[in-house]
Amino acid sequence: MLRVERLTKSFNNKKILDDISFDIQKGHIGLFLGSSGVGKSTLLRILNNLETYDQGSFYLDGKKLDLEHVNQTHAVGMVFQQFNLFEHVTVKENITLALINVMHKSTKEANTIATKLLKHFGLEDKADEYPSQLSGGQKQRLALARTIAMRPEVICFDEPTSALDPMLTNYVAKNIQELAHEGFTIVVATHDISLLQKLSCTIYLMHQGKIIERASSHDYKLHPDKYDLINKFIEGAE
Amino acid sequence: MGFSMIIDIELLKSSFPLLLCGAQVSLQIAALSCMIGLCLGTIIALLQRLNIILLNLVIGAYVTIIRGTPMLIQISFWYFALGLEPFVAAVLGIGLNSGAYVSEVIRSGLAAVGKGQIEAAQVLGLSKLQTIRFILLPQAIRTVLPALGNEFITIIKDSSLASTIGVVELYRQASYIRGRTYDVFTPYLAMALIYLTMTTTLSLVISYTERRLNRHVKS
Repeated sequence: MLRVERLTKSFNNKKILDDISFDIQKGHIGLFLGSSGVGKSTLLRILNNLETYDQGSFYLDGKKLDLEHVNQTHAVGMVFQQFNLFEHVTVKENITLALINVMHKSTKEANTIATKLLKHFGLEDKADEYPSQLSGGQKQRLALARTIAMRPEVICFDEPTSALDPMLTNYVAKNIQELAHEGFTIVVATHDISLLQKLSCTIYLMHQGKIIERASSHDYKLHPDKYDLINKFIEGAE
Repeated sequence: MGFSMIIDIELLKSSFPLLLCGAQVSLQIAALSCMIGLCLGTIIALLQRLNIILLNLVIGAYVTIIRGTPMLIQISFWYFALGLEPFVAAVLGIGLNSGAYVSEVIRSGLAAVGKGQIEAAQVLGLSKLQTIRFILLPQAIRTVLPALGNEFITIIKDSSLASTIGVVELYRQASYIRGRTYDVFTPYLAMALIYLTMTTTLSLVISYTERRLNRHVKS
């Protein structure tokens, strides 16, 4: 379980995250919903040690999570909005690079893991191509494969569907749900309201750095009237 | 006036082995200077990213002095002021000069690598050194390869300045032949052709390397 307590982050005297607390159970999805600039991406970046924070405590499975060394422990992984694939190496090398140099796997072992993952994501015939030769959906699957290869406990997705068409959005939602079933703890930052319907998750609606409403997607689907603020956000987004 | 009246074919044939010996020395100077320039330039460009004010001031002074004074003076300094061997003074003079230019080229290449690449490397757990080695430098070098190629071609040509401190390289050999035969055109034309061959070959090698390294770029 990922627990974040009283997380605060300011920039130029403006509170980007204002006293945020939440729990996401292992194998569950936390969906942070909100318009641009409400602090969703900052939250993900803090969890991946890409941003500093002013205050807050972090726990993973009851143990304190040291974010300063989170990249070395591979406890948290991230699939970036722009994928950030390494353009100068092949599809397979995008996966093996960290396995060999960070996880100290042998080249053979790393290649086996990469081949397995590429097969799982339908990219086995693209192994020796370069990321620039992939479509948007394929790039995202590669970014996901690269993250999963490191076996993080928590996977963060920053706007996972922003660059994709509706068909691919379904596919991505399916992938995210499957990852949760496999036991990964998932944190998604999005303004895409369609994910609400597609994922079984806990929704955290964010506004001006605060979580202003929370709901389980199951409850929201059964009793949408209970959640005024989420409804208002959806109406605004439509 | 016909070609044969300007060029002494017999002299051309007989002086060619000597000129090639000179060209070999020129290439040695150029290759060693390129290595110094590339290593020094890369280190400087990476050090500048640390944003240490004092270090940046020292680097700024070095680049300003090197770029603002003729290379001839720099080579002379190493030879006359420090009393180094002519060959060593030439290599050091040209190499240190090149380092200043290469550092600027590599710096622009590093700046062109997207922040997202560094962040992705960080999230995957790569150390700062690994990020430089596996992500930053390979991408930066690809971007600046044409500019680096120009710099290396310039170095081949600038190696002729080593003749001013007594290194018997290509230009010096051609000058010896001119002095001995009183024929200016033949040895100098042959020398020009040898320089042209060296620079064109390097240019082709760089173009080939550039194509190979950039095969990941969608055409």
